[in-house]
Amino acid sequence: MLLDPTFLAIQLLNGLQLASLLFLLSVGLSVVFGLMNFINLAHGTLYMLGAYIGLSLVRATDSFWLAFALAPLAVAAVGAVFHVVLLRRMQAASPMRQVLATFGLIFVGLDSVRYIWGDYSHALAAPELLAGSVQVLGQTYPTYRLFVIGLGIIVLLVLYFGLERTRLGAIVRAGVDDRETATAIGLNVERAFFLVFCFGCALAGLAGVVAGPVLSIFPGMDISILILALIVVVVGGPGSLKGAALGALLVGMVETFGQVIAPEYASVVLYALMALVLVLRPGGLIPVSKAHG
Amino acid sequence: MMSRETWRAGTAILLLVAALVSWVRADYFGHELLTQIAILAIFAMSLDLLAGFTGMISLGHAAFYGLGAYATAAFNLMLEWSPWAAMAGAVVVGAVAALIVGSFAVRLSGVFFIMVTLAVGEALHAYLFKSRAFGGDDGLSGIARPDTSSIGISFDDPAVFSLVCVGFACLIYALLELVVRSPFGRLLVAIHLNPSRVRALGCPVSRYKLAAFTLAGAIAALAGSLTAQHNAFISPELLTWTTSGEALIVVIVGGLGSLVGAAAGAGVMVLAMHHLSGVTDYWMFFMGLFFVGVVLFAGNGIYGVIDAVRRRLGGAAH
Amino acid sequence: MTQFARVTWNAVALLAALAVLAISPSRAEEPVKIGVVLPYSGVYASLGGEITQGLELGFETYGPEVAGRAFELITEDSEVKPNIGLSKVKKLVFQDKVDLLVGPVASNVANALRDFVHQQKVPLIIPNAGNNLLTGERCSRWVIRTSFSNAQITRGMGPWLVEKGYDSVYLIAADYAAGHQMMDAFRETYTASGGSIIGESFPALRGTKDFGPFLAQIKAAEPKAVFAFFAGGQAIQFVKQFDEFGLKDTIKLTGAGWLTSPLYVDAQGPAAAGILGILNYVPGIDNQENQAFQEAYQAKYGRVASEFAVQGYDTARLIVEALSQTGGDTSDKDAVVAAMHDVSFDGPRGPLTIDPATNNIVQDIHIFETSPGDDGMALNVIDTLSAMQDPPNGCTL
Repeated sequence: MLLDPTFLAIQLLNGLQLASLLFLLSVGLSVVFGLMNFINLAHGTLYMLGAYIGLSLVRATDSFWLAFALAPLAVAAVGAVFHVVLLRRMQAASPMRQVLATFGLIFVGLDSVRYIWGDYSHALAAPELLAGSVQVLGQTYPTYRLFVIGLGIIVLLVLYFGLERTRLGAIVRAGVDDRETATAIGLNVERAFFLVFCFGCALAGLAGVVAGPVLSIFPGMDISILILALIVVVVGGPGSLKGAALGALLVGMVETFGQVIAPEYASVVLYALMALVLVLRPGGLIPVSKAHG
Repeated sequence: MMSRETWRAGTAILLLVAALVSWVRADYFGHELLTQIAILAIFAMSLDLLAGFTGMISLGHAAFYGLGAYATAAFNLMLEWSPWAAMAGAVVVGAVAALIVGSFAVRLSGVFFIMVTLAVGEALHAYLFKSRAFGGDDGLSGIARPDTSSIGISFDDPAVFSLVCVGFACLIYALLELVVRSPFGRLLVAIHLNPSRVRALGCPVSRYKLAAFTLAGAIAALAGSLTAQHNAFISPELLTWTTSGEALIVVIVGGLGSLVGAAAGAGVMVLAMHHLSGVTDYWMFFMGLFFVGVVLFAGNGIYGVIDAVRRRLGGAAH
Repeated sequence: MTQFARVTWNAVALLAALAVLAISPSRAEEPVKIGVVLPYSGVYASLGGEITQGLELGFETYGPEVAGRAFELITEDSEVKPNIGLSKVKKLVFQDKVDLLVGPVASNVANALRDFVHQQKVPLIIPNAGNNLLTGERCSRWVIRTSFSNAQITRGMGPWLVEKGYDSVYLIAADYAAGHQMMDAFRETYTASGGSIIGESFPALRGTKDFGPFLAQIKAAEPKAVFAFFAGGQAIQFVKQFDEFGLKDTIKLTGAGWLTSPLYVDAQGPAAAGILGILNYVPGIDNQENQAFQEAYQAKYGRVASEFAVQGYDTARLIVEALSQTGGDTSDKDAVVAAMHDVSFDGPRGPLTIDPATNNIVQDIHIFETSPGDDGMALNVIDTLSAMQDPPNGCTL
């Protein structure tokens, strides 16, 4: 079956689709990780929040596209509050304290979602334009998934040129490479970091809305995907856009083809991959070169 | 002014007295809670050796705890070893596993160490969740406690078993106190504070860290073994990364790098969870807020407060 | 009165009081304490809530008291963690001194509780957890199940599908004990009836974000039907993706009925139409008790009662009827369990009894098909397998 080219093509698309979702989710996590040396375990919570806010917006307005546009903004606002209230106070704290504070936030977020939206599972309907299926090499394939793949590629390109061509991008790159020098030459690294953080939160929220029609929405959806996102970041190389893209692609493909070839070991293989990368290339596959260790 | 170590030992004795008093006064369920506290204290103290003294923050420490529980079950149920032998075997398994994991993990630091321990723990969890031989997600039951009927007491009596667990907690505290006071222990703290200087002095930093990691793994396995005997049941939940995270919170609540604080934190945590979950279905919300608050504001935790008293006393004397 | 007379009088009064205490069957005014250990947080919180509501409605309907004793429910959150569940049950037994226990939802928690309640001889009534072993090899006189065993649900579907012409299937289920037990029971009867199984997949219970890889495999295998077991979020995903990948046109989707539970069938949208399910309860069962139950439940909670709610409801009724047989006495636990064996009644699911050989429930199992109705997707019962009873499976009670 594996040698059947159409079967392979379909599975490739499945892998790409998952990679695309993971990329949207991880890129914010990764850049923040790279900038502030800070893992936000509550990043999955922002993703869940995006999905639930999207659900409410779709119910209220009957428009997926409105939810698609507004939910990320709402999540970015939550991220901004989080940054002002918590993160700023924690910059000097040890990595353990930062990790554990966001660990606590997972529980706060989970129960908040349960309190507001209840315990039941939900799903978003795909927008009418993308609802059906198309024929790919004679196989039926959901149109929406192709949209997800396309969206991932677009976001990647936008971010790539944004980082390369804009002033904000330049500040961020400088900040990742060498924060002290960047600050010393008068760049407002703090403000840039804040904007990047909010933007990363918005992307997590976007991933949540976009995942709505493919995956289901339930309290705890954050934890099941958080670990995958962490693997993406670590494997790709924290702080690196290309790394996040490569990590997402790798994890998406391993997850997809692992299920097909050896479902017994698929999950163990992913963790082993992460451990292996950490040991052999601690900076990830595409490490960011740092001026100061 | 009393020395830091003496003060710590004094606090530990006070804690033991409190445990014994509550043991005398407790009913069945009180003994039950005391057992849980003692086991969590052992687990948290082993993590404190890593996180508090050596600066290695593990989100996979529950892997060794769970491994200890699984090894106890496997030795006891499958190989039909006696409970004592199973417990000893579990400690060895925990040590060996920690040695293997540590041999590559200790070279990493900070966030990367957190991630690799997380990966190892989750991989083991995923494996045990699926393994038919170890009961999969259903777990295994019927793990025996030591048979001491020959000396006229029964470990199946919750009162006796809780006392045994408290005894183990005291032993582990004493052992770890010896370790951190030894030259080895002081070197661990030095590595934590300034690894490059220690390395520059020609010390094999990784080897010291590995030794601490192995010891912590062995002690965590002992805690797991006691849990297996306590519940007569094991399941993969023991190994999840959230178990590790919660244990780290216990250590922080108690006060990093104080050992006795970890034990006090265990008491606070078990009792708080016991009362909180009865109050509201949304207890996780408050627990999460509590975690964030502790991490943000509690600085040095419970022991920080106790130590502040010592310093004030010392200040007054001068 | 002389000293002697006073002493005698006191002694007589004391004896009389003792006699009254001894004769009266129980502390008449004290409520029956029922310890309820269910998940109220975590992924199964919705199920814990449904079962609790069913329990409350059941005690209201068939109680609110038995022989002068009211019912007091003491709920504890199992968190779906075996150790926590066990600790909560110890609290209920030792501290609250409950008369009976009800719970849990998940089989791993039930496994952790089993030995404890067996030793303590406190009856535990399971309103959901379906692990076969709990009323098989690991059965106990003190563990009674009012919900189902995993095998009991799926066993009947094998011959039925073959008879309807679906003689080749692909099996897919979440990779945990329940998934395997459901598939094992189906496989056995299906192949014995001449059906052939042309593929099996067991995606991870947690971590599977996407069924795309499996659906492509199923499609390539070209079975006449798929027999699936998923619940909750996974069920929503599976049913929707099964449609999106175009499998529905050529392959019949069948499965254990949680695939299209009333809790989320509407979230699945049109993709949920035309699915065959097998389960111990669907809201559309046509009998008087079910009508009364659904009306009362919807009036009270504003929602259709699910298969989980009915399990709580019947649990309450079993307790009430058994205790009315013992005259409200809960001190003799052996008599309480014996009374449960004697109880039989017609509930919303149909006629119910507890099998004294295994302590598992004997109940009708319903086969239904989904079709779009006026208010959402309707689950229409098309066949009923009556009085499904588990073989002892190694249980000797």
